[in-house]
This record gives sequence, structure tokens and C-alpha cells, in this order.
Amino acid sequence: MANCQETLNEMYAYLDAELAAERATEIIGHLKVCTDCQSAYEFHAEFKTIIRVKAQNDELSEGFLDRLRECFGDDALNDA
Amino acid sequence: MTVNMTTREDFTHDAMQHAPQLFSTAMRMTRNRSDAEDLVQETFIKAWRSFATYQQGTNLRAWLFRIMTNTYINKYNAQQRKPTETELDDVEELFLYKRLGSVDQSQLSQSAEDQMLSLFTDDEVKKALEELPDQFRIPVLMSDVEGFSYKEIAEILEIPLGTVMSRLHRGRKSMQKMLYEYAKERGLINEALLPQGDDE
Ligand SMILES: [Zn+2]
Repeated sequence: MANCQETLNEMYAYLDAELAAERATEIIGHLKVCTDCQSAYEFHAEFKTIIRVKAQNDELSEGFLDRLRECFGDDALNDA
Repeated sequence: MTVNMTTREDFTHDAMQHAPQLFSTAMRMTRNRSDAEDLVQETFIKAWRSFATYQQGTNLRAWLFRIMTNTYINKYNAQQRKPTETELDDVEELFLYKRLGSVDQSQLSQSAEDQMLSLFTDDEVKKALEELPDQFRIPVLMSDVEGFSYKEIAEILEIPLGTVMSRLHRGRKSMQKMLYEYAKERGLINEALLPQGDDE
């Protein structure tokens, strides 16, 4: 099982799904028995979610979408 | 090579699926709608022109983000490969987490963690991202907003994996500090409850 320091150090790697399965299991094992680390983990999981949800809601105008569809024109076919 | 109508329709359809995400990232990169629209448009034109080099079955989304990121870096002279160490203050570990106990409880009915989603406005999160220097902002955007793996980010930015990780780490801490400052400006932080040793 991982200790507190290791868990906090590797918390983001775990959140980013970058830990090997075996190591992730060790981190999860510690989170289950340590409320301090679990609390820190939940905070950062939420923080990561907040960034995704709140920074990814920009509306695209219809005119812009039309402009984008026109990017796939014939000129590329001739170049190819 | 021959590109028939079906191929074109398929590619247009597939690329358009990624337009909203590309646009949001472009907004955070350029910080304004007009430049962001131009950036995504330029990305699609380049993608279509280099369609011949696109390998069917490879990750279209990562490929489009790579084109857009390169376009952004070249067009805006974004400092990508040589960050100066002084561009971000060193922020202590768990900066925001350690300070949530100081959030004014009268403003928050439940525990601070449960309220974090409503504590920061969309504009504050966007602003905190947009204030990061490019070399930190792009990795954070790619990981936290777009969900790319460290390896994909390293390929998109053409930087080593270890550099991706250290820039993510520093960029995220810096964002936490900025968000904390915004919360303080809005009077959500009771300074009397700040942890000891705070360097304000
Ligand atoms: Zn622990």
C-alpha cells in the first residue's frame, strides 16, 4: 500500500489515468483507509472536473459553423 | 491519391464533430472569439490540405489538435520550447485545498468541497486558464479540458514527457492560486482563518 506522501505525489497521475494498474490499486488502497488523503483526492478530482466543465462551454455561431464546412473545398482535391 | 465524394463527406463529418472542443481550446489560446474562429478555420483548411498524409485509423482528434496547436504557436509566436523559469511563481503543494477551510462558511451551506463547483464562476475559471503563460496553459488545456494523455500531449507539443508533467504540475498550482485570489476579491475568503505560514 502507498503512504500519504506517495499518495499525494501521485494523486494527479492517478486522476489523469496515467498510473499503471498495479500502482493505481495501491493508491486506491490508501485512499480507502486514509480520510485525509481521500479528502484531498476528492478536492482535486472535483477541481479537474470544474476546469473541464467551465472552460468548455463556448457557443459556436451558425455562421461560424457554415464557414467551417466550407473549409473542405475542391482546392485540396486538386492539390492531392 | 484520389479523394472521392464519400471520403470528403466522411472527413468533413468527422472533423466537424471536433469543432466545439477545438473552438473552446482556441478561445482559451487566443482569448477572443474572432481570432479563435480564424484559428479553427485555418486548422480545418490545413487538415484538409494535408488529408493525404492523414493515416486512416489514427487519432483524428489528436491530429487536429496538433495542427491547431502548431498553427497557434507559429502564428502568435507563442513561447513554447524555452520557458523562462521566472514566468510562474512557485506555488506550494495543495495550495487551494489547504485554504478551503478559510472559505466563509456563511457563504457556503455545505462542505467546501461540495461547493467548489459553484464557488468559481465559468468566467473565473476561463480567466485563470487564460492568464497562464502559453507553455503552461496549453498542457493544462490539453489534459484537464481535452483529456489527452501525457503521451499525446508530448506528441502534440513535441516536448518530452517529463516536461509535460512538470508544466502541468506548475500550471495547475498557478491556476489554483489565481482562483484563490479571485475568491478573495469577491469576499469569499475569511482571512482570519488562513493557515499559518501563509506567504500573502
Ligand atoms: Zn494518507
